[in-house]
Amino acid sequence: MRTITRFLRTCITCALFVPGLANAAQSTLDVPCGRDGALTFGFLPLVSTEKLVQRFAPLVHHLSAELGTPIRIETAADFETFIRRTNNDKRYDLLFTAPHLFYLARKKAGYHLLVSVDSRGMSAVIVVPKNSQIETIKDLAGLKLATVDPLSLATLLVRKQLEDNGLDPDADLNLVTTPSHNASLLSSYYGATDASSLMMPPFKVANPGVRESMKIISVTESTPHMPISAAPWIDPECRDAMVAVLLAMPSTPAGREALKTAGFRGFVKSLPDIYDSLIWAAERIDTE
Amino acid sequence: MTQGKFSFFQSLRFRLIAGVVTIEVVMLSLLVWSNIRIIHTTHADRLQDTASSLLEQIADTSGSYMVAVDYASLQDYLNKVVNHKELSYVVVLDRDENPVVSLGNTPAQPWPRVDSHPSAVDDAVFNASRAIQVSGEPMGKMLAGFSLAQMESAIHKARFRGIVIAVSEIFLTVVATVLIGLHLTRRLGVLADAAESVGAGDYSVVVPTETADEVGKTATAFNRMVGEVSSRTGLLEQEEGKSRRLLAENRQLVHASLDVQEEERKHLARELHDELGQCITAIQADAELIRDISAGRDERVEASAGAILDVSSRIYDGVHSMMARLRPGILDDLGLVAALKDDISAWMQRNPDTSCLLHATGQLDNLGERINITIYRIVQECLTNITRHAGASKVTIDLAGEIDRLLLKIEDDGRGLPATMPAGGLGLIGMRERVESLGGEFSLDAREGKGLSIMISVPLTGEEAQA
Repeated sequence: MRTITRFLRTCITCALFVPGLANAAQSTLDVPCGRDGALTFGFLPLVSTEKLVQRFAPLVHHLSAELGTPIRIETAADFETFIRRTNNDKRYDLLFTAPHLFYLARKKAGYHLLVSVDSRGMSAVIVVPKNSQIETIKDLAGLKLATVDPLSLATLLVRKQLEDNGLDPDADLNLVTTPSHNASLLSSYYGATDASSLMMPPFKVANPGVRESMKIISVTESTPHMPISAAPWIDPECRDAMVAVLLAMPSTPAGREALKTAGFRGFVKSLPDIYDSLIWAAERIDTE
Repeated sequence: MTQGKFSFFQSLRFRLIAGVVTIEVVMLSLLVWSNIRIIHTTHADRLQDTASSLLEQIADTSGSYMVAVDYASLQDYLNKVVNHKELSYVVVLDRDENPVVSLGNTPAQPWPRVDSHPSAVDDAVFNASRAIQVSGEPMGKMLAGFSLAQMESAIHKARFRGIVIAVSEIFLTVVATVLIGLHLTRRLGVLADAAESVGAGDYSVVVPTETADEVGKTATAFNRMVGEVSSRTGLLEQEEGKSRRLLAENRQLVHASLDVQEEERKHLARELHDELGQCITAIQADAELIRDISAGRDERVEASAGAILDVSSRIYDGVHSMMARLRPGILDDLGLVAALKDDISAWMQRNPDTSCLLHATGQLDNLGERINITIYRIVQECLTNITRHAGASKVTIDLAGEIDRLLLKIEDDGRGLPATMPAGGLGLIGMRERVESLGGEFSLDAREGKGLSIMISVPLTGEEAQA
């Protein structure tokens, strides 16, 4: 009986999704996707919780409405907790995390890649005030550089960038950890540190007054953009439906509005293997 | 006329004090009640504002912890900030209504009903609730209980203070009112005592006029009035004395006149009997002799003698009747009862449609001439009045001689006296005067259509027979 039911569901899903993802996204599912009737969507604490909710709530609402399933936003107090909840506690049904953390999640907890943010890639930048005498990354020797969480991709990219430029991040300069990208940016803006490191996207959407008074002295290598993945216990049918909804977002006014609030152009379907390039970063934080 | 002693509760003093104290008690009670209500409302509103602002502050901050599922930090945060002394418990519920942080005396589930206002609380704890949101996204709910003990204690203290102040004020008001009332009413009391003395006839009273206020003016006017009343009363008493003397003299004259009248009647009756009666008897004797001599001889002489006999006989009857009315000889010869019976018998012959019964009881002999003639004349006058005015069918006369008094009651079933008629005509006045001349009492009971009843009581001293 269950086999027949699953077959019928698959047929319905195919009938809905195969002809066109956009059309398929207009319908809701007949089966519950969440374990308790609701999905938990874990977001990496990129920014403060309030800003995080503010930024991604429209996206979650859109997805929830399209799927017909309640979705709850969750995050964690810090990267370490988030990683533990993702990989060990298996707390999140959906996951929006950094590329290198997705690599770990996929490897350790079996998360399935749904979509990636439609972008050419992500880089971290090192910025200093425009009136600063610092011109190159090598000038940072002996100075204070603000970073975000040590486990963040930005910090890992910057550390790698420093090492590639002959600087030992733990010996040649003083890394000052701040709670967020914005905090890192403001720390050099207000003179608490000599320079700031953060990801390029947060820098681009920072306060214009602050952003325009800063200059970029170094850009790290580019990485694949942020992925959205699903836990292995999520029904494939649900995963397909989610993919359809996410990919179709630019085609609906509500979807476009949610994307605009999130700061994304859209999502693209990509292969999970592209995140294997971040194995070096994953290995650095994988303490287990 | 005396007012009599009035009780303390009727006094102006008591009413003044009681009125002021009552008003004071009522107004202060209302004031205290109003203040307590205001205090209660103020404290309740203050607690609600406190609860609202505290929950708002905590809920706003807790949102970040909730979305990060960082309950340990949330508990640390709440432990630091939640130190409000009225706060009984705090429970943070997640989006599934599961408690994730509990502080204080957390109630057992099911969670208590949220109270709309501290004044609507029925379990001594004001239960409040607030949704935890982050950017409008629901993250859970916060329940908090605020003990009303502190509020109740504050209200109790305020109520106690209010009652103490009110009681003190009432006490002071009572004391002040009593003192002022006593001061004000003391002079009124003097005035009232003076008025009472004047009422009792003491016109020598003078009320002191201590001040020029209303009481002082009243005292001055009272003294002036007492002087005027005293003067006029003196004059009135003089005139009343004169009138009383004149009345007494008049009565004496009336009584003397009655006595003289009776004496004249008696004398006239004797004269009629002695003089005219003898002549008529002589005429009748001569007429009989002439009739006897002329019988069979001269018819004309015989007829004339017979006519003389008839005329003289009618004259005799007329004289006899006049004598009886002037002075019934039977009264002197056979006494009061026989005279009354004779008079009643004659009256009934003249008034065959009316029955008259005489009931004579007790000792009625030796009542004396004055009493006998007085009772006889009264009965005679009554029967005459009944004949003229009453139209009665039945008359009852009760005469009773008791040890110390003589009672006479004459009743008829006639028309009585109309209500508009004065208490008596000249006949009744004459009866009253006759009775009072004997020191007796005369009373009349007459209603229109109900007959007439006359009651007479004459004192007997035992010496009447000598009068």
